Order: sequence, then C-alpha cells, then structure tokens
Amino acid sequence: MKRSQFLILGLLPAILLMIFLFVLPSLWGIYSSFTNMALLGKEAANFQFLGFENYIKLFKDSAFYTSFFNTIYFVIGSALIGQFLLGLIIALLIDYAERRKIPGRGIVYGIVLLAWINPTLIAGFQWSAMYDYYYGTLNTFLKFLGLPKINWLGSIPMLSVIVANIWRGTAFTMLIWLSALKTIPVELYEAGKIDGANAFNRFRYITVPMLRDIITVNLIQITMATMGAFLLIWAITSGGPGLKTTTLSLFAYRTAFESYRLGYGSAIAVIMLLINLFFGIIYIRLFRRR
Amino acid sequence: MCKYSKLIPIIFFFIFLIINSFAKPITIKVWYPDELGVKPKYVDKAAEDFRKAFPDVNLEVTRYKIPSGDFLTKLLLAIDAKEAPDVFHVGGTLMPEFVEAGYIRPLTPYVVKWEDWQYYPKSIKDAVRYKGHYYTIPYGLDVRWLYYRKDIFAKAGLPPDWKPKGWDDILNTAQRIKNSVPNVIPFVIYAGVAGSGGTVNHGYIPLLYGTKAVAYDVKSGKYVIDTSAIKKVLEFYKKAFIDLKLVPQEVLTLPKPWTTMREKLGAGELAILFEGGWVYGGWVTKYGLENVEKTVGYTLMPSEKGAPYFTVGGLGTCWYISSQSKNPQLAWEFIKRFNTREIVAKINIEDPHPVARMDSAEIPEFKAIKYLYDCTQILKQAKFEPMAPGISKFGNRVQLMTGRVASGEMSVDSALQKFIEEMKSDFGDVIIK
Amino acid sequence: MKILVFIIFILIIIFFSIPFLWLYLSAFDKEASAFIKLPNFTLSNFIEAFKEYNFTRYLINSSFVATITMLLTVLIVAISAYSISRIKWRYKNSFLYSLLLLHSIPLSTTMVPIYGIMRTLHLRNSYLGLILVYTAMQLPFLIWLMKGFFDTIPEELEEASWIDGCTSLKALFKVILPISLPGILVVSALSFLGAWGESMLILILVDSEKMKTVPLVFYEAIRTVGGYMEVRYELVSSFAILFQIPVVILFILSRKLLATSIVPGVER
Repeated sequence: MKRSQFLILGLLPAILLMIFLFVLPSLWGIYSSFTNMALLGKEAANFQFLGFENYIKLFKDSAFYTSFFNTIYFVIGSALIGQFLLGLIIALLIDYAERRKIPGRGIVYGIVLLAWINPTLIAGFQWSAMYDYYYGTLNTFLKFLGLPKINWLGSIPMLSVIVANIWRGTAFTMLIWLSALKTIPVELYEAGKIDGANAFNRFRYITVPMLRDIITVNLIQITMATMGAFLLIWAITSGGPGLKTTTLSLFAYRTAFESYRLGYGSAIAVIMLLINLFFGIIYIRLFRRR
Repeated sequence: MCKYSKLIPIIFFFIFLIINSFAKPITIKVWYPDELGVKPKYVDKAAEDFRKAFPDVNLEVTRYKIPSGDFLTKLLLAIDAKEAPDVFHVGGTLMPEFVEAGYIRPLTPYVVKWEDWQYYPKSIKDAVRYKGHYYTIPYGLDVRWLYYRKDIFAKAGLPPDWKPKGWDDILNTAQRIKNSVPNVIPFVIYAGVAGSGGTVNHGYIPLLYGTKAVAYDVKSGKYVIDTSAIKKVLEFYKKAFIDLKLVPQEVLTLPKPWTTMREKLGAGELAILFEGGWVYGGWVTKYGLENVEKTVGYTLMPSEKGAPYFTVGGLGTCWYISSQSKNPQLAWEFIKRFNTREIVAKINIEDPHPVARMDSAEIPEFKAIKYLYDCTQILKQAKFEPMAPGISKFGNRVQLMTGRVASGEMSVDSALQKFIEEMKSDFGDVIIK
Repeated sequence: MKILVFIIFILIIIFFSIPFLWLYLSAFDKEASAFIKLPNFTLSNFIEAFKEYNFTRYLINSSFVATITMLLTVLIVAISAYSISRIKWRYKNSFLYSLLLLHSIPLSTTMVPIYGIMRTLHLRNSYLGLILVYTAMQLPFLIWLMKGFFDTIPEELEEASWIDGCTSLKALFKVILPISLPGILVVSALSFLGAWGESMLILILVDSEKMKTVPLVFYEAIRTVGGYMEVRYELVSSFAILFQIPVVILFILSRKLLATSIVPGVER
C-alpha cells in the first residue's frame, strides 16, 4: 500500500464518526439559528425561515448583553487569570520544589488533580455547600472566627463562581506545564544564569519561546472549555441572582431547555463560536513564531 | 356439492381466526416521571384496572426516574421524532404551549359523557379549558396561603386568628413583629429570579389578582399589562423589601429560597410567608400534625383592601392524550381509571394536596385531614394562574421585574417600563392599560 | 525562599481541600444536608447505594463504556493524528481548527439532531451508541493534541525504519508510538474521564434501567415536589465518593507515567 493511501485510510474512521455524530449536528444547529424552530408552542407545529431575525433580536435583548459580558469576565477571570496563571505558578513551584527538595509537592500535585477529576456535578454540590449563606462551610469558618457572614452568592456571585471554576480546572494547565518544563534542557537555564538573567527574564526569554505552541494550545483549550462551562455554574447559582452569573452557555441552555426555543438558542451558540474564534486568533497571533 | 357447501362458512371462520391471531395487539404507551414519589402504586392500580377491562390491549407503562424538567425534554424529543406515547404526564401550566404546538388532543368528547365530571367544580373546569376545549383532568392541585406562626404572633401581642384587612395590614403586622420579636424574620415573599416559580405564583400573581387585574386575555390571546395595578404590586414589594426592610435581601440571592424559608417557618424563625399549599405537608411530616396545627396558621390572600379573599390555584401535574395517539379512546380509558374517586383521594393523602373532585374530599380519610379539606373547599373560589402560551417567558420577565424593585436596582416606574419593553420584545402584541 | 514556597504549598493545599470537607462529612452521615455539620458516623449511605439503587450495575455500565470509549478513542486518535501530522496540505491547520471551533457549539443546540440520528440508527439505549457518541465528541480536540505530539517527532525516524523494511503501519506501532507514550496516556486519561463523567447526553440517549450510567443515578436522589427540588444530600455525597474512587485509583496507578512526561517528546 502506498504511503499516501495509508495515511488517508487512517483518517477514515475518524472522519466517518465525526461527520455523522458531530459535524452534521453542529451544522444543523447553525442552520436552525436562522429559523424559529421550537419544541413547544406554535412554532413547534411549523417553523419558518427567519434569516438573521434571531440575531437582530439577540442584539436587542438586554439579557444577551448581560450574558455576553458575564462570559467575557468569566473567561478572563477564570481561564486566563485563574487557571492559566495559577496552573503555571503551581507547576513552576513544583518544578522548583523538585530541584530543591522542598516537601509537600506530592500532596499539592495530588490535591489539585483530585479537584479536576472530580465530576462536575459533585463539584457543584461541594461549592454550593461552601457558599451557602446560613450554614455554608466558608461562613461557618467566618462565624467561628467571629467575623460577619458574607453573602457569597448574593453580593459577589461572579467572583464566587470564578473561584469555583479555577479550583476545578487548574489541574489541566498544571499538568501541561509540568511536563512541558521538563523538556527544556537545563543547560539553557544555566547559560542564562551565567549571562546574568534573573528568574523572571529566564522565564520570559527561555521558557516562553520554547513552549510557544504548548501555550497556544493550552490557552485555546481552556478558553473554549471555560466558555462552554455550564454544569458548574448551573449547579451553584442557576445563573442567578437575576442574570448576574448567566454566561452565554447558560443563556443558551435556558433558551433551549426552558422555553424550548431551539432557533434562538442556536443563534446564541453561533455567537459563542464566533467569540471562541476571536480569542483563538488572538492567541495564535500572540504566540506566532517570528 | 351440498356436503361441501356447509364446510365453507367453517373454513372462512377458521381463516378469520388465523388472520386475527396474526394481527398485532393494540399497544397503549403511558409515560410519566417520578423519582422518589408516590405515584407508581396508583399508576399501577389504574393500569391493573385497565388491563382487566381491556385484556386484548397491551398497556405499557414506563416510569422515568428523572426530574420532570428532563422528562419534558425527553418527551418533546420523542414527540418531535413522531414517537410520542399515547398518554403522558406533565405540568398543567404547559397546557397552552402543548395545544399551540398541536401535541395534545382535547378531552372534550370524553368528559362530557363522563358521569364523574359533575364532581369537578366550575372553577377547575374553567381552568382546564383553553380555546373552547378541555385538555386535561387535574387531580392534585395546589393552592396558596398566607402562612404565619401563631406563637410568634402571640409574642407580639397579636391574635391567633389572623385575617389581614389588606396589604397594608400585612406590612403593619410584619412591622410590629419586627419591633417586638427579635431574631425572627418578619416576612417573606419571593421576588426575583431566585424565587423562580415561587416569585410568580406565590407572590406576583396573588398580588396582581388582589388588585382585580388579570395578566392574560384569553379572547384576544394577548398578555395584559395593567400599569396602575402592577404599580401597586411593585410598591408593595418596594415597601416590604426596601422601605421597611421586612424581607431579608438574601431571599433574592439564595439558590433555593423556598427550601430555606420553608424550613425557617417550620422552625419558628420566620413569622409570615406567602407559599404554596404543599409545604404544610412537609411540616407535618417533620414536626407532627398536632404541633403544626398549634403553631402554624394559614389564611387566604387578601385583596389590596381586604375582601374579597381568594386563593390562587395551580393545576399540578396531570395526564394528557397525545395527538399522535392512534387510539385516543383507549388512552382516555386509562386516564379515566386513574382519576377515580378513590385514587384521587388516596394519592393526595399520601402526597398532600387538595383534590380536584369534590366527592374525593368527602372520603373519610381525606376529610379527616382538616387542612387538606379546607384547601379543597376553597378551590371552588380559586382563581387560577393564567392559562397562556409563553407562560415561562412571561414568568421570567416578572421575576426580573420584581427582582429589580426588591433589590433596589430600579425604581418602580423604571422596572415597569423595562417590563413593558421586554414583554413587547417577547410577545410582539400586548394590551397595555 | 524555600520556606516561602513551602508556605505557599500549604495555602494551596488548604484551598483545594476545603470543598472536600463537606463531601466526606456528609457521605458518612445519615442526616446530611447541604451544609457542613458533624456527622453521626455511619456507613449506611453506601450500603443503601448498593442495595436500593442498583449502584453496582451503574458502576459496571460506566466502567465498561468509559473503558471501551478510551480504547476506541486512543486507537482512532493515534492513527488519525499520525495521518494528519504526516499529510502535506496547506489548509491542514485551519481545517483542524475549524473542527475544533464546531466543538464549541453547546449540547443544547445539538441535542435534537443527535437524538434524531441515534434514534434512526437504533443506537439509543445501547453501549455501542454511547461509545460512538462519546468518541466522536472528543475526537476533534484529542486529534489536535496528539497531532502536536507527532509533529515534534521528525520524519527521519520513520524513514529510517522504512529502510529497514517496515511498512508505514509497522513503523507507526514500533517506532512512533513508544516515543509518544506520554501523549497516548494523556489522550487515554482525557477520553476516559470525558466518558466517565458525562451527564448530559446520557439523559437523552438512555432510558432503560439496564443501561444507565452513574451520572444518571444522582437524579434518583433528587425529588421534585410541587416544582421544587429536594435533594437527599447524604446519598448524593456517598454516590459521589463511590463515583470518584475508580478514577482516583486509576490515576494513582498511572501517576508516575503521567507526571514525568506529558508533552512533545524531544529526541532521546
């Protein structure tokens, strides 16, 4: 068998599976965003093609703008600042600890990982227990210390939800960075030190350039995952109070599963796709090889 | 020739029998959701009765151990795929949506011939009629009360038989409790999105009906925005939440305020609560009937200035016949056997709710439960939640509006303005008074 | 400096373990609620899970589906990613990236067509159906990830093996895969976890009791009364711990391999 035939044949199973169970449904979804398809109500009986009407409606809907900005805050706060930086810092520290034999790194690694492999549904319950106003874990500690209770989910809902998501997702970045760091030859750092570079500069001029692609992959992945994060937020706040923690993915869910307006919900989904595209292009540009 | 001519009918007869035995039996599919509840044994009893009456029919009953929201999704997907069951069980509020979508069959031809239909009061019959047809038969309904703790009232020097003389009386009573009884939440009414259904059905609608306004006009099929009435309702919210601070702000942000507040009233930490009828049963289970009867009082919703007193009824969940059913008559036969006098009474004793059939209420075991009996009687004068398509969108806008006023985020006028904008965007045409 | 790092470690450990406090306290408590309280230590919740809720069956289903999904995914990903890595095409990366973007369309939108397709193929309520859907869902990202690994392995390596007489296929298995073992492990872990914890598609794809996986059983600890949800927390947390145990064990077993080299291998 010729090599090129082999290569194409190798792709066949993946292509087949993806087309039927993934690409087609997604394309259908995009198509439905141009209609008013619904599972309930009079549109369920027969739907009409609407062109861009759903999108125009979206842009006039204040709930859309709220969820749009919430999504931006959530992604920046949870994915970029939280998971990425925290994962990076933890990985760097563990790496450092391994070289200098500081104890505790195994436990850190393990517990961060445990939070990640913990199913999302459970994490939702755990963090609801943490944030409960009257008897939650956090407020119980505050009471114990004689401090006043904080209404986590009432006064600072977005922050609370961001923290919960950081807890949940940091492990992924940590894992990526931990192994990535090992691939950089130690000699490069030695050379850097001799040249008088401090830790920060060594990071900036040695680590980052070598790991360009990894960083891009990582950022794109966690941005996408965070944007699509649904279950965790839903389990803790159901998008509330009001719409304060409703991100686009929650907004899409409510539209599709509560009012069963599929068309409108799909339009939201397409917007989410476009935002992901936007972020993706930024990352790729930022870390492109010069 | 004559010998054989006698055999011919016999041969035909045997051929007929053989063909019939290959004919597939009729299947009736019944689907319902129930995770931990009490329905299964009653559904099974109805199924048993059905099978006795129709031994040739294959009755398939499927119980889905998932929450009703997820069941609804599954059901809608099945309907969309043209694989709907003959009979299914969903909430009464969805009836208009199902009718508009063409998913359910009217029961009118069946109920008018049903002897037991006479036992259902007019208020309930009206509630299940949409665009001229009856679409379902409720069995366990919900009513709303104004609950209060008699013991806290006593501490504040208030009499145990409370009949508020209007909205201001509610606020004044709560204020008095706030002043004289420490460590107790004076009053709770749900508002905002956190309260979800409770905001609309236990708070907003009872208040709105108390101003004699309506939310939906069935004749024209449009939502009604009665601005002066709604302003009064919003003023009440504002006074309760912001001006007098009788309701704690957490009610707007707790993830499940109904659970928390219900527990608080049961534990004696909350004095006055607008809630649904079903919570009483929970207290009885936890604290015992005697205890609850001594400490918890319930009274009808007052109108703005007192009389007329009323309650708001909810249809609960009920059975429907799918429009895709090939055997609607048989489907009806199942529904009929579930809604018998005994089953309706017994299921609502176990899962406490007032009953839709007045004759079920007279069954001794049911009648003995004073609270349930009272609830059933007031159903005759109940006003029901609006039977309107798009009710969930409406509910969402109401939640947002009340939340904005109760949190102080917007003034009454701005919140109302915003509501009008949002309703117009959602529904196009609305009637504004 | 060392002490500073140590202190930071302690803080991190505290931050990450507090939420587990509630979980472990309420799993062993018969009257658990959504908040923490000191438990009356009992194992009855776990016993109830197995006796009343048929947990064994669900665990078996989850394990089977997750394991087969993992094996199938790894197989397909390895071959596809290798092919994509080695094929020369200008628009390769853009094409892959677009596939990935499609992935960001949430389930609420795609559930109707997926339901329709699965029903038409009679794959609802079947192991095969679940495995295929879970695999398909994860392919875009995992292929991309694995391709990244393969990209860093120079083609000279395979060319060397061809000279030695290997076919492309053999070269793949004997030469490439051993080097990219870390990548394979990541893909295995991610695909297993993805299938194990999946709780949304399962709702529309499975009705029958026999085919249920563990995520569905959580719903059975919830009761909807009058439109409101009541949760039996003691069951939820005990289910949760039972749900976590297999995964934790697997991870501990593969810890060494996972930790040392996850990323594009360098020539060794």
